[in-house]
Amino acid sequence: MARLIRTEKEVEGRFEEVWIVVEEDPLEQWPEGPLTVVGRPAPRKDAGERVRGEARYTADLRLPGMLQAAVLRSPHAHARVRRIDLAPALALPGVRAAIGPGEAHGLVDEAGFAGAPVAAVAADTFRQALVAVEAIDVEWEELEVVLDPDAAVERGLVTDEARRYERGDVEKALAGADVVVEATYRTQTVLHNSMETHQAICEWQGDTLHVFISTQYIWGIRQAVAETLDMPEDKVRVVCEFMGGGFGSKNSPDEYTFVAAELAKRTGRPVRCALTRREENTSAGNRNATIQRLRAGARRDGTIVALDGEFTNSVGWSGWNASTEGPMRMLYDCENVRTVTHGAKLNTPPMKAFRAPGFVEGTFGLECLLDELAARLDVDPLELRRRNYAGSNDGTPFSSKNLEECYRRAEPHWERRHEVHARSDATWKRGVGMASQIWYGGGGPPSYAWLRLGSDGRATVVTAMQDIGTGTRTAMAQIGAEELGLPLEHVEVVLGDSARGPYAAISAGSSTTPSMGPAVRAAAADAKRQVIEIAAQRYHLEERVLDVREGKVVSADGNLSEPVQDVVGLLEEAQILGKGARGPNPTGMSVLTFGVHVVEVAVDVETGEVRVERVAAIHDVGRIINPLGASSQVEGGVIQGIGHTLSEERLLDPETGRILTTSLDAYRMPTIADVPPEIICEFVDRPDEHLTNLGSKGLGEPPIVPVAAAIANAIRDATGADVHELPISREEMLRALREAEERAREKEKRGAPAAV
Amino acid sequence: MSELRLTVNGGEHVLDAPVGTSLAHVLRERLGLTGTKIACNEGHCGACTVQVDGVPRLSCITLAHTVEGEVTTIEGLREHPLVEAFVRADAVQCGYCTPGQVVSAAALVAANPEPTREEIRHAMAGNICRCGTYPKIEEAILSWQG
Amino acid sequence: MELLRPSSVEDLDGGVLLHGGTEVVPLLRDGLLDAERLVDVRGLVPRGVHDGVIGAGTTLAELEVEPAIPDALREACRLAASPQLRNMGSLAGNLLQATRCWYWRLDYPCRLHGGDRCQARDGEHREHAIFANDFCASAHPSDVAAALVALGARLRTNRRELAIEELYRLPDEGDRSTTTLEDGELLLGVEVPQVESSTYLKAMDRKLWSFPQVGVAAARVGGETRLALAGVAPIPWRIGGVEELDRATPLPRTEWKVPLAQALVRRALAALA
Repeated sequence: MARLIRTEKEVEGRFEEVWIVVEEDPLEQWPEGPLTVVGRPAPRKDAGERVRGEARYTADLRLPGMLQAAVLRSPHAHARVRRIDLAPALALPGVRAAIGPGEAHGLVDEAGFAGAPVAAVAADTFRQALVAVEAIDVEWEELEVVLDPDAAVERGLVTDEARRYERGDVEKALAGADVVVEATYRTQTVLHNSMETHQAICEWQGDTLHVFISTQYIWGIRQAVAETLDMPEDKVRVVCEFMGGGFGSKNSPDEYTFVAAELAKRTGRPVRCALTRREENTSAGNRNATIQRLRAGARRDGTIVALDGEFTNSVGWSGWNASTEGPMRMLYDCENVRTVTHGAKLNTPPMKAFRAPGFVEGTFGLECLLDELAARLDVDPLELRRRNYAGSNDGTPFSSKNLEECYRRAEPHWERRHEVHARSDATWKRGVGMASQIWYGGGGPPSYAWLRLGSDGRATVVTAMQDIGTGTRTAMAQIGAEELGLPLEHVEVVLGDSARGPYAAISAGSSTTPSMGPAVRAAAADAKRQVIEIAAQRYHLEERVLDVREGKVVSADGNLSEPVQDVVGLLEEAQILGKGARGPNPTGMSVLTFGVHVVEVAVDVETGEVRVERVAAIHDVGRIINPLGASSQVEGGVIQGIGHTLSEERLLDPETGRILTTSLDAYRMPTIADVPPEIICEFVDRPDEHLTNLGSKGLGEPPIVPVAAAIANAIRDATGADVHELPISREEMLRALREAEERAREKEKRGAPAAV
Repeated sequence: MSELRLTVNGGEHVLDAPVGTSLAHVLRERLGLTGTKIACNEGHCGACTVQVDGVPRLSCITLAHTVEGEVTTIEGLREHPLVEAFVRADAVQCGYCTPGQVVSAAALVAANPEPTREEIRHAMAGNICRCGTYPKIEEAILSWQG
Repeated sequence: MELLRPSSVEDLDGGVLLHGGTEVVPLLRDGLLDAERLVDVRGLVPRGVHDGVIGAGTTLAELEVEPAIPDALREACRLAASPQLRNMGSLAGNLLQATRCWYWRLDYPCRLHGGDRCQARDGEHREHAIFANDFCASAHPSDVAAALVALGARLRTNRRELAIEELYRLPDEGDRSTTTLEDGELLLGVEVPQVESSTYLKAMDRKLWSFPQVGVAAARVGGETRLALAGVAPIPWRIGGVEELDRATPLPRTEWKVPLAQALVRRALAALA
């Protein structure tokens, strides 16, 4: 029965109270370990289409009569449009329509960052649209530009109230601690730079708006577009069959969708609005920079007695104040914790969720601080983490937590450090570092799936979800196949179209598999029940002795073994329809993912070059559906993490606030040459017994969380240098090495025997 | 407008296009060959890689009128054993860079059927994959002959 | 826009010269170059290595596997840009490439664009110059140029022969260009002397496909040791020895390049020995 509940819903570490209808989920979890299809490596079902270039991304769609839009963006970081004249643009060849501030949602007359959208043009070709946009005559009134986050917070220029948290008495605990370490960490602004830029094509057919969009959330787009344009939701159809990466930046429709919709309305033609790479770098969101002023107090025996953090997120002109303090609150068992998190409102481009927003940054600070504490206490870093193991989330039990098991599996990697040190020479210093990972990833209701089983014994999962490149199509097919007892090649997945399936969850917050998977299994179970009911009648057997295995309806005594198609074939061209819903999350429990990375680095102490030589990534995300796809997720997260740890940084002109790194020669993402020679992926692979009929959590984000801290800790192990800033450029590396040298000299001086 | 003659995947094409039009644009917009992706459109990412006489080039910064030689796009390499190798190795996540990866890899293995990891990294460094599929790409190229 | 393919150097008559296009095409698209006329010079510029002369149209990809050239040049080619760019880009184009300074690329009214200040000096300059950076702080991005300067290469154009160092000039108030090439002058060949030994070392912020943070070319030529650096001055920069780096004039955020350059120079000299 459907049940209406008021509950806390978490997406990307953000919580809100919502009403949801949940359906109870009576299915028992499968036994632990690899099953027939689930838990076995499977190449992606759509890999061939993607590899051969047959997959049609939004960027590849060509609708008849389609126009191209270009957007006029503010050259100023903060300015008001005093006057705007679209006429010069409209007079140019090929131009079909032009719109200004207020004429489409997102086009603004007060630009809060350089790159803010102001006006747009639709023309026959993109080149014509670009020329026309340049011809728009704007008179700007330049306003004060605020770029310094500390100054902004001091002046009360914030995106929202500071978020404060305290348990116990931090000041008292610090005063009583045997050892206190204090450090300030800074992380940089990082750009998503998905290979397919943000884009949408809008087409009106009667009063229905068709939106073809590169998105992580088909239903969120449908809802937001309908609400903004004041339309019934069923009059908005959203399609995204293949998408070229999002990483958190494609959760909402944004100006390009509304520009395309409005220009399509005005011209009566389909309109594409696609960001250029330059626009992607200036206007499509980012992982915001942070400043983290942290303190930790501990007893001599390694018990952490106090954690104190002041976090400032450089949110930018819009976005949200991500949970940079989250790891400090949740990772360790500590009675006294105090955090305050400021969100500085700056004249910089908007923050958008980026693969574990807040936790990536906060884990860098906290896990580096832990190693500085370990050094001061002369305690082994792994041992320090174990000594402060959190058994609950501040009193709330975990639905499952196997971090201890992750630590156990980390041991052989951690033990390598003696041998690694021994491979150091005069220039290349080698070391090993580790960092723990905590993040959400439990998903939640509502999510729905249908499953059609045809008379040929083949099934199709139908649900209007999206596959953002994580292998969702394959994982869902595996779940359906496992439950139905069909071979994987007999199960397809249709997704990517709000008109072709039920509501499906967002692909963000590592929630796709834990949200959608249980619904798919429930739909498959519903279909299987019907197969068995039909078979029982056809073969005059009791339902309870029947099962479907490897494509056959079988009886417990082995006397019956008939192909599924012989049973379903009775229906001729008709089909069985199963329907499934995602059940509720466990009440009164924290659903979180855990892991640990052990990283080996080599540092050239003369040139500041850092090489990541080996990464062991051990994760606890419940049941693994597809070990092959899961290892790809982990490798991808590690590599993206290496990018923001070593080479990626968005830079601004400090005077004007204009973005300087607008192209991919200046914004440097890892290439294949930056990949460590060895990345080892291990999964605890134990179903979370309290979480859904699958016991699976998400894996999209966890692997990126601990990377920076583990690398920084390995650098400290190798060289004694404390890096406090990301990226660890040669500049930062050489600074930290110099500082470590000076510190060593000081120590030597102090330790030197006095002259007699 | 200026006449343009191109040989693409063995087929001859004669069309008109303004001087300055990129090869990538012609492939995608005029010939409907959307397997070649444009991701940066300024020569930095490799998504648009095609072969001209077997040599990988960036079609987004190649002016179509300057092309001399036979163009091979992903559509001309669909039967290449590398495709199956990429599928097997899971060397594809979002897939947007993947056709360009295959085009670069195909040129590599044509010249050097058994490349070392080092040689793969040297030859593939111009194809950016934001999903970080690189270890699987390396594996696919190492095992391309099955 | 029209595209010309002159059949002889004498037919050159203005326009923007195009070879591999890796620099010219993006600059045209960004409006940093303006051309009514594009001149495809591939038919005019020799390609390949003949009798110690490298055709200026030889691609970097061809040179990175060319046994008949000194190590420093081969290595500089091998470490330059990306594989596809090396397949497309010519030796001449590489020598004539513009700075990567973001202010210049984004068309700020900087000194190289004829403006009256260097935005990088007061602004974001962490990748910029440590020598000769008073007027313009840009850093020269060509690995190959540094290698050829260290090797003491000579260039042949359709009008003259010159030492490679004479190709480059520091921009000043009166003339903002960084090369001495005249309108209609075309690089045709590069003559590289026989050297006893040579090497090129490059610091990048990715392992490959990056412009040099600092590149150091060193060559032993006729008993003399020659050093030239990329990424440290608006043009390829010759130094006499490692001690000359003590006289660098780094900006606040380019100080890190000095110890980096010192380390690489020491290593390069050690490699020659």
